[in-house]
Amino acid sequence: MRDILILCALTATVVLIAIWSLSAGAVPIPWHIIGNTLFDLEGPKQEFIVFQSRLPRTLLALLTGGALALSGVTVQALLRNPLASPKIIGINSGAALAVCLLVLVLPGAGLKWLPVAALGGGLLAAAIVTGSADFGRFSSGRLALIGIAVGFLCDAGVDFILATSADAQFSAPLIWLTGSLWARGWTHVQLVWPWLVILASLILVLSFRVDLIQLGDSTATSLGVAVRPLRLILMGLAAALAAISVSVVGVLGFVGLMAPHMARSIIGGAHSRIMPCAVLIGMGLVTLADATGRAIAPPIEVSAGIVTALFGAPFFVFIMIQSGKRSRV
Amino acid sequence: MNARHRLPLQAGAIAVLAFGVLILSVYGSLMTGGRSDIRLSDLFTASTNGAVILDIRLPRTLVAACLGVNLGLSGLILQALTRNPLSSPSILGINQGAALGLTIGVIFPSVGALVGLMPLAAIGALAAGFITFSIAGVFAGRIVSLRLILGGVAVGAFASAMVRFSFTLEDDLARQVLRWTLGNISDVRWHHVQSLFVWSIGGTVATLAMAHRLNLMALGEAQASGLGADPRLTLMIGALMSACLTGTAVFVAGPIAFAGLVVPHMCRFCLGPDHRILVPATALGGACLLMAADAASKWLTSPVELPVGVVVAMIGAPYFLYQTLFSKGAI
Amino acid sequence: MLFRQTTYSLAVGFMALLPFSVGAAEITHELGVTDVPDAPQRVIALEFSFVDALAALGVSPVGIADDKKRQRIVAEYTAVIGDDWQSVGTRKTPSLEVIASLQPDLIIADKTRHSGVYDTLSQIAPTIVLDSLGGTYPEAIEQTLVIGDALGMKGKAAERVAEHEAVMAELIAQIGNESHGVNAQFGVTNATGLWLHSPLSYNGSLLEKFGFSSSMTPQEGEVYETNYVPTTLEQLSVVDPDLLILGKYADPAFTDEWAGEALYDSLKAVEASNVYTVNAHKWSRMRGLLAAEMTANDVLEILTEFSAKQ
Repeated sequence: MRDILILCALTATVVLIAIWSLSAGAVPIPWHIIGNTLFDLEGPKQEFIVFQSRLPRTLLALLTGGALALSGVTVQALLRNPLASPKIIGINSGAALAVCLLVLVLPGAGLKWLPVAALGGGLLAAAIVTGSADFGRFSSGRLALIGIAVGFLCDAGVDFILATSADAQFSAPLIWLTGSLWARGWTHVQLVWPWLVILASLILVLSFRVDLIQLGDSTATSLGVAVRPLRLILMGLAAALAAISVSVVGVLGFVGLMAPHMARSIIGGAHSRIMPCAVLIGMGLVTLADATGRAIAPPIEVSAGIVTALFGAPFFVFIMIQSGKRSRV
Repeated sequence: MNARHRLPLQAGAIAVLAFGVLILSVYGSLMTGGRSDIRLSDLFTASTNGAVILDIRLPRTLVAACLGVNLGLSGLILQALTRNPLSSPSILGINQGAALGLTIGVIFPSVGALVGLMPLAAIGALAAGFITFSIAGVFAGRIVSLRLILGGVAVGAFASAMVRFSFTLEDDLARQVLRWTLGNISDVRWHHVQSLFVWSIGGTVATLAMAHRLNLMALGEAQASGLGADPRLTLMIGALMSACLTGTAVFVAGPIAFAGLVVPHMCRFCLGPDHRILVPATALGGACLLMAADAASKWLTSPVELPVGVVVAMIGAPYFLYQTLFSKGAI
Repeated sequence: MLFRQTTYSLAVGFMALLPFSVGAAEITHELGVTDVPDAPQRVIALEFSFVDALAALGVSPVGIADDKKRQRIVAEYTAVIGDDWQSVGTRKTPSLEVIASLQPDLIIADKTRHSGVYDTLSQIAPTIVLDSLGGTYPEAIEQTLVIGDALGMKGKAAERVAEHEAVMAELIAQIGNESHGVNAQFGVTNATGLWLHSPLSYNGSLLEKFGFSSSMTPQEGEVYETNYVPTTLEQLSVVDPDLLILGKYADPAFTDEWAGEALYDSLKAVEASNVYTVNAHKWSRMRGLLAAEMTANDVLEILTEFSAKQ
């Protein structure tokens, strides 16, 4: 009962944030005009701003926020550690490296191919990390370490490419890669929403098994779970969710780290409860970050990735205090 | 037991090897650069070429050496304090914290002028270390290895994100800050050497004095207190030292990742766990690594110079990956 | 009757020819071809060099991406275009909302910065994309012509360019033989470094037009991929120009630290006191027709001093 109340409250919050997001921005638009445009009523409208810019951005923020949060919950469960995040399996760095390589090797390719490169790079990095960790004795700690190492390696590659090539070539791709919803529109939404919804549903269906995996490999096996294939599937789903997000909005750090954590403290318990909660929190975080970034210093837009990182500051204090309490117990 | 008998011969061989590597690194670092017509003999003439070596290359080589000493020792201390061979200033987010402190000083010049940029870097390093240690439970007495590393990565990522935020500011400020995200020592002069040198020498001496305590840390909390070295005191002093060493290094050159990982790790592999030997060895090894990296940075993609941080990362990142794949014992 | 019919059809026939010089145009630009309406009234410029072109043609834009710093649009421009334009944000990420709210009928965007949002911009208004960031001086002149074409001012643009070339030719004539055989180099410096502008950059190609030579020409086996090359003192001593022109973004600038060092003092330009400071913003950021004229005047002043010392 309490859970349902919490989920309802969260849903209401997300809806409110989304509505605010439609009115936040460099150009102040009164509510009745927004209403007119959305519902095609009589009166003055602002077609482009509301319909082509803010609405798709809000939707994309909701989609990617939920995807990243869900990916974060899954990775944290697989690594059995609340400090893990999709970044740990090398997705962000792999995507960045792939984007830089694309610009380097095919400079005329045009920015349309960036999402494809980012997706490929992210998935490849995650595959390498999971594959190497699986080779030999698997331990979640080892997976985390390998993921971090691969991430650092890709970052070193990116730094090398940036240091030895023309600045101008990379400025646009780099901006595109720092988590931001600037200039995202219906094409981006249409590109990702079916995939994200399908993948997210798959993970939600498997939420019970995620609980079992958290108990430990041997316990899970004795309870009848095929641990290794399940782990690979879950990792693949989580990686795909995160990689698809990165490919359209760039690296929105900390959502995959914070949302599961917050969900766990608000609702706790089995993953069938944590996951929907985390999805809602993730949606709210990213939409709030994007709207704030637009509203704060018009016409300059602060990218959503920066705002989510800023949210991270009090968050770190929070988990510091939490871990202090936990260790003392 | 065998080791003891072989010790003099092994020690001698290692000493000769170390000396050779040192000479090579110094030579490599001094003889590479923008001009290709400089010879060692020019040092003894009063020509412009001689001035190039004295005014430009020698300070740069010294800065590289001092950076290596600072970062290597910082990594050594962190590895001892956390009893984790994979700790290093960059993995625990301390490097990035120092960079953030520096960035704040640049973006808010009033703060920078009030506190001073180098202290700001040290403060940033200390703050980041504090947060990472808290997350890992260091202050509560039990260090959880995975939490340490993951917490460090998260703190480092956060600090980097904040530093990168300044890229979105105006171009000039952005270019200035960019220099502080990749370790870069092009165009350093003697005044950069001064403060760094003091910290390197002082740091080596201080760490050597702490070597016994660091040895005891490796035994574990209980044993350490039992043997009379309060682990909390060691922790505080060690963390402070590490933060200052890292802060000064980042202030001069920006964050150079992996130097604090590779050098102590390799030294421990070759020379064993006794910190009384490890401290000077790490200092020497760090100096050699950075000077060699400096030489490579000038020579690899000539005439364009690579930032030295990129070269060290190109060595350190594969090393780190190799360690995580094939060695046991970190987690 | 017949006379009226003939006159009428002659007039219609004549008017049928007019669209080719005054009506809607198909403009070819870096990302394809765009249909631009005749004589657009509300223009938005997303880079400074486009503002330069608009000022040269006497057209006032309704919006400029000025990094939210109005002072970056210098007096020479505002004298022509006035001060009524609205800021649309940074050049890197201009606010699409503000652009849309201005209801433009032409948007001029930069290839390097804005290719990714070309489709979105096209939804708001016809958009043309030109290479401002990476372009050389001759390309900047070309772009002025393209912009003139898009504005429905093809003839006027051609005239203005011809005027500009005449002015430049005169300035170059005044420069005369003074610049021949002189190695000149332009660079920008802020608090932490020096970047030399290679011969492939706007300023490099402009200096070449003035008759200067450059020792930065790629040597065998070396390639200057980037227009702006970070340079240490040692590398500068290899380039060793006769004339060093610096744009300083900070005070004190990085190069000021070098004063007094043996290697710096041994540079040809330093020994002969031929290091000149110019306005970095005007030389480096603006990149256009009017900017070239301002640069040329600076060069003339510099050369007068330079020759006096010979």
